[in-house]
Amino acid sequence: MTAENTEKTSPVISREGSTDIHAKTAGSKAVKIILITVSVLFLFVMLVMPLITVIYEAFRKGLVPYLEAISDPDTMSALLLTLEATVIAVVINTVFGLFAAWTISKFRFHGKKVLVTLIDLPVTVSPIIAGLIFVLTFGRQSVLYPFLESIDFMVVYAVPGIILATVFVTFPFISREILPVLDAQGTDEEEAAALMGAKGLTIFRKITLPHIKWALMYGIVLCAARAMGEFGAVSVLSGHLRGKTVTLPLQVEILFGDNKFMPAFAVSSILVVLAVVILIVRSIVEYIGKRRGEK
Amino acid sequence: MYIELKNINKSYGGFKASDNVNFGIEKGKLVALLGPSGSGKTTILRMIAGLENPDSGEIIIDGRVVNAVPASERGIGFVFQSYALFRYMTVYDNIAFGLKVRRMNKAAINERVNGLIELIGLKGFGNRYPSQLSGGQRQRVAFARALAPNPQVLLLDEPFAAIDAKVRQELRKWLKDMIHQLGVTGIFVTHDQDEAIEVSDEIIVTNKGRVEQTGTPIDIYRHPATAFTSSFFGVTSELSDYMSFRSFDDIGEYDKAIVRPEFVKITKKNEFQKYKSSAVEGVVRDTQFRGNSIEVTVNCNNCTFSARRGLDEPAVEIGEKVDVFIYRIFVTHGDDVKLLKNNALREETVVI
Repeated sequence: MTAENTEKTSPVISREGSTDIHAKTAGSKAVKIILITVSVLFLFVMLVMPLITVIYEAFRKGLVPYLEAISDPDTMSALLLTLEATVIAVVINTVFGLFAAWTISKFRFHGKKVLVTLIDLPVTVSPIIAGLIFVLTFGRQSVLYPFLESIDFMVVYAVPGIILATVFVTFPFISREILPVLDAQGTDEEEAAALMGAKGLTIFRKITLPHIKWALMYGIVLCAARAMGEFGAVSVLSGHLRGKTVTLPLQVEILFGDNKFMPAFAVSSILVVLAVVILIVRSIVEYIGKRRGEK
Repeated sequence: MYIELKNINKSYGGFKASDNVNFGIEKGKLVALLGPSGSGKTTILRMIAGLENPDSGEIIIDGRVVNAVPASERGIGFVFQSYALFRYMTVYDNIAFGLKVRRMNKAAINERVNGLIELIGLKGFGNRYPSQLSGGQRQRVAFARALAPNPQVLLLDEPFAAIDAKVRQELRKWLKDMIHQLGVTGIFVTHDQDEAIEVSDEIIVTNKGRVEQTGTPIDIYRHPATAFTSSFFGVTSELSDYMSFRSFDDIGEYDKAIVRPEFVKITKKNEFQKYKSSAVEGVVRDTQFRGNSIEVTVNCNNCTFSARRGLDEPAVEIGEKVDVFIYRIFVTHGDDVKLLKNNALREETVVI
């Protein structure tokens, strides 16, 4: 009896269930279209249009004025300084990020939460304030100033200051990317390797690095992108000495301030190209990382 | 004693994971550290391995105090609960890792690794990655990897916890044979008493960071030394007032009276019961087929407990009135446990 009953009722339930699903999918289809349209429109207005404008303005007077604008010695030196600061910031933050992430995920110690919060500080503090902090720490009014002067090492209004600001602002990017991956991995594999007699460096190379490789690459890409575009902190520390302490974003500002719109857009286009290159690299890294992860 | 722990203490914040732990293990024995979760058994294992340091006390392996010896130099093989296989290395590379670290020559590594792969029955799987193996296969790879550098001591943390029941049975026997065959001293952590009884030569029972009792499985089962061990082993039920069952001595104050199914004899009213005068009437609440026996749950003097009846004995029905005779009970008072025998049994020996 009971068996018969369940047989009778079960098709009814499934039929009801299927109509329900139809209703839901119909509803979600409309939602899907609306959401996609909104997102695309938003992205177009906020991102694509401005980018097109930059490129359009840069080439408005033709290719020759464009090439002239970007081959200006000040612009070239700004490009070199930007690349220099970016490379140094990426190297320093990779080393620091690895150490910090490793320390945080593999050891238990007091004040761990404080350290995690401190790492995030640079993203939460306004870059202008970050710049001011360094001016106060290394500038004329600082107690460190006489010492820095005696060894002839200028930070404020000099290249070291620009690098320092860039490093500070891009501080969390790499460690933030690695941390969750390291946390998820746990410490078992490292402990197993240590028990078999492997030393720290071997453990890192053979066990940890293969695991965090893709997260690390992704972090480096993000860090590089942020380092190239940094404006606020660098602006405070730079002093705007043309051809000496001006990075690409600052150069754009200077040109714009001088009412040289076409050259300003031309220099901006370099940054746009760099950003697009980084985005492509990012997508490739993400794609490969995902494929490896699935395997 | 090959491995010895002397007065080991270890705390995490306010939590005492090891409270004056003492025990010794003979060479070549396979020993189970058995206790409920949070009883400090894994901490003990990790301290022997050198992954944790005791706050005080000495760990001695082969006559040498190893407290200050780093984990990598203790010559211990460790199988993690999660196996902790290196996921970016093949089975071959996993097993070879400990040998490569020791800079053994390539030919020797090759021979040893292939030998071990064959030993664990995974020939042809050398190029697979851990994610391509089943749970049982991973466990065996972890075992081979731990054994590769020829450790004198093998530690296993809940080695069978992540494996399904059927494979677990097989692996238990396989592990026991393998360890005895290789002559290493093994310690494994488990919370499963059946597993401890089945696999180990000796059991160390832990509870709340203390060692409750050490001994052979049969010894611990028959003669629990503490209140905890008496209720932890076997299927146990409590009697609220054991004096309401006939022919037991009154020992005065007590905390718990514990019976196991094998302490209880249930007979139908028309069956012969030698100690009928000491039996109590009970009502059958439930019967359950257990494969090789029938588990009968009875209610008797306001207590519910179970007993077993053979398959060839006449069946009892739910609600049937039966005679219940209890041979023995464990009576605990504080940390002590006392085995009380039914006086009816003693009278009989006097008569004979």
